[in-house]
Amino acid sequence: MTAVTTSSPSNPSFDPSFDRDDRKRALAGLRFGDQVFAFFCRAAAIAVLVILSGVFVSLIGGAWPAFHKFGLAFFVTEAWNPVTDNFGAIAPIFGTLVTSAIAMLIAVPIGLGIAIFLTELCPPALRRPLGIAIELLAGIPSIIYGIWGLFFFAPFLQQYVQPALIKTFANVPVLSTLFAGPPYGIGILTSALVLAIMVLPFVTAVSRDVFDSVPAVLKEAAYGLGCTRWEVVRNIVIPFTRVGVIGGCMLGLGRALGETMAVTFVIGNAHRISGSILAPGTTISATIANEFTEAVGDMHTSSLLAIGLILFIISFIVLALARLMLMRLDVKAGK
Amino acid sequence: MTMAFDQVRYRSRRRRSALTMGLCWFATAVGISALLIILGTLLLKGFGGLGIGVFTQMTPPPGSDGGLLNPIVGSLIMTVLGVAIGTPIGILAGTYLAEYGRHSRLSSVVRFVNDILLSAPSIIMGLFVYTVMVAPMGHFSGIAGAVSLAVLVIPIVVRTTEDMLLLVPTPLREAASALGMPRSLVIKQVAYKAARTGMITGVLLAIARVSGETAPLLFTALNSQFFSTNLNAPMASLPAVIFQFALSPYAEWQKLAWVGALIITAAVLTLSIAARALSAKGSK
Amino acid sequence: MTEISTAQKLEAGATAVSPDVRISINNLEFFYGTSKALKGINLPLYANQVTAFIGPSGCGKSTLLRVLNRMYDLYPNQRAEGEVLLDGQNILAGDVDLNLLRARVGMVFQKPTPFPMSIYENIAFGVRLYEKLSKADMDVRVEQSLNRAALWKEVKDKLTSSGLSLSGGQQQRLCIARTVAVKPEVILFDEPCSALDPISTARIEELIDELKADYTIAIVTHNMQQASRVSDHTAFMYLGELMEFGHTKAMFTRPQNPKTQDYITGRFG
Repeated sequence: MTAVTTSSPSNPSFDPSFDRDDRKRALAGLRFGDQVFAFFCRAAAIAVLVILSGVFVSLIGGAWPAFHKFGLAFFVTEAWNPVTDNFGAIAPIFGTLVTSAIAMLIAVPIGLGIAIFLTELCPPALRRPLGIAIELLAGIPSIIYGIWGLFFFAPFLQQYVQPALIKTFANVPVLSTLFAGPPYGIGILTSALVLAIMVLPFVTAVSRDVFDSVPAVLKEAAYGLGCTRWEVVRNIVIPFTRVGVIGGCMLGLGRALGETMAVTFVIGNAHRISGSILAPGTTISATIANEFTEAVGDMHTSSLLAIGLILFIISFIVLALARLMLMRLDVKAGK
Repeated sequence: MTMAFDQVRYRSRRRRSALTMGLCWFATAVGISALLIILGTLLLKGFGGLGIGVFTQMTPPPGSDGGLLNPIVGSLIMTVLGVAIGTPIGILAGTYLAEYGRHSRLSSVVRFVNDILLSAPSIIMGLFVYTVMVAPMGHFSGIAGAVSLAVLVIPIVVRTTEDMLLLVPTPLREAASALGMPRSLVIKQVAYKAARTGMITGVLLAIARVSGETAPLLFTALNSQFFSTNLNAPMASLPAVIFQFALSPYAEWQKLAWVGALIITAAVLTLSIAARALSAKGSK
Repeated sequence: MTEISTAQKLEAGATAVSPDVRISINNLEFFYGTSKALKGINLPLYANQVTAFIGPSGCGKSTLLRVLNRMYDLYPNQRAEGEVLLDGQNILAGDVDLNLLRARVGMVFQKPTPFPMSIYENIAFGVRLYEKLSKADMDVRVEQSLNRAALWKEVKDKLTSSGLSLSGGQQQRLCIARTVAVKPEVILFDEPCSALDPISTARIEELIDELKADYTIAIVTHNMQQASRVSDHTAFMYLGELMEFGHTKAMFTRPQNPKTQDYITGRFG
């Protein structure tokens, strides 16, 4: 503290000179660390690419024997028989696509409804807590959905919902097949409903964010014309955010396609294709989860890796499309 | 006819609006009830079994009482290890995207691929680690479980790190550079400090995500009836034990599965609420 | 072309008065991608004097300032051609150590940019890069630097609180203290007062006046009065060209170039 006693403006005790060589030495020491850090950052970024290509390569390698043996027939065969070593992927592919499609049919309208509620109707004080509550649904681990689905939701559906469905549509031509009994509880429909609950928060979160991005003046202008709330949503908000909403739905679809544990509990694990959505079925991820560690023959393992590869390619395409759409939206918003 | 205001039409528009907005209320009610019912079921079925024994005893053989000590320890070990492996890689890669290669070609490819990994099915990551680790090693192991979790942690941390670093104002970086600070120090000492809260949030979210993961562990760490901290051997985890016990025909096992489900959910939701609270605090 | 020759003539005249040229800018061109932002700039910066860069928005005055510590190097697609000599060494050369250069040529930004750390650390941080000081020596350096920036009295009792807790004017003086602490030779100010209230502005202007005893100073400003108050020399730029350069007093009373006259009398800008 004795060094500086003056606070005069020119502060004569302050010597602005320095030793340039000292400084050079100090920097030379830092430069190595600088380069190492930059190198590691780049390496880590490349590691992300390595993971993706590693996934592809390892799955293709593992799936090769199955593809080699069964050829294109693998994609259209319903059989899945470890005893005779005869495998086909159509039942799990069918189950995956149908459960995801039904889940999206249910989750998209509800998710959009919640997003509209949160952005247009909700009292401001409730916005945050309700938004968090919906997001917590996304935080619940999928195995919880599975155990809940198996012990609570499936018995509930079996007892109350499915008998009513079967009875109601018994004499309606197409629907009587779709809702053919008996009510097992577990099955395609139950899986789809559980998936719908799981996908809901993804659809809601993305839609709410893009709805929020609609400029207030645009909505005010429409209200100024005398539009009702619904007309503003229908004609301003949704057209303005269409690409983002579709992107969000596809992210949700990506989730639904690959979801494993919840579905494994409630799908019923039946390797067949049924016309009724009340019947048990299977999905790619449920088949893998159930059989992979217990697969006895090499062909069984290879077939499981093969359907894994198919799942990865399907979800890769869906997710890539979702990202491309959301990216287009970012460009539009000038982000 | 000077007032061309069609009362009938106006009323039908009002009705339609009221109807659709009512449906939005209903949708929200459905979503919230789903959450409440799930949490309610968990509490109802799991809370009764919650006792000190759960945390001190091993998983029992069928037909007798026991606890969840070994899967809890296994989950902790693999989660901590997975996050410890995945976080540094994620932060470094996120740093590359936001700082070194913001506009580079490599970055746009990595960003795209990372976003896909972020939502890719976790079971596929389990298969991947199985083929590159478990199959060559010849046996399931805790370390393979940890690696499969790390693979899930990386994209989450990459994403949040990049997003948070992009929020750091450019003048702050320029000011640090203007002092003659090398790039790596600008990043480590200024940008990381400014983005700290958001980055921690990202790691918390990653922990929350992987601590409930089941599918990838099934083919990597498998499961174990015994207490083990040996990373080179199969290791129990809460989700895997829940899977096994819930689908078993034994009442005691099913009961323990519910207790485990309650514990995991409580832990995961606490983590994600903490992460949210932290990011809300940071954004003020 | 006539403008440039005028500038060169004035420059020659000015050199006669104060021959100690610290930085000499020769035929400088600057590109953002393919668009040219600076065209054939020739300009001296004199030791222990304040040179102001003025001109309407987009004229290239900030770009010129950012060439002097090569701040533009942080961004791809930006490049400079020509020559900028600092004590005879061309700082645009490829082998120049940028960090060393930036330590010699400090910069204060438009908005205050305190680092997200304590007031003490804000200053000690830059010093530590180059010098290993004992705790006591560092304390002295921090106090000296804060004193130099006329901030010591206000913050001496809260050195451990965050730099972000200070007012805007104090933050800007903290940034000046931080810059001074690493012992630069040249200090660049990029519109340092545009985010500040009039009282804080006056203090910064006083400070700039005091600092020129030890440093070569360049300041970009859009405020004509500020340029006339703080600077010894003024460079008027327009559309990437140097229109006029000379003693501030002379330029503000008898501008040679009609464009300069229009600008400083407020007819455009």
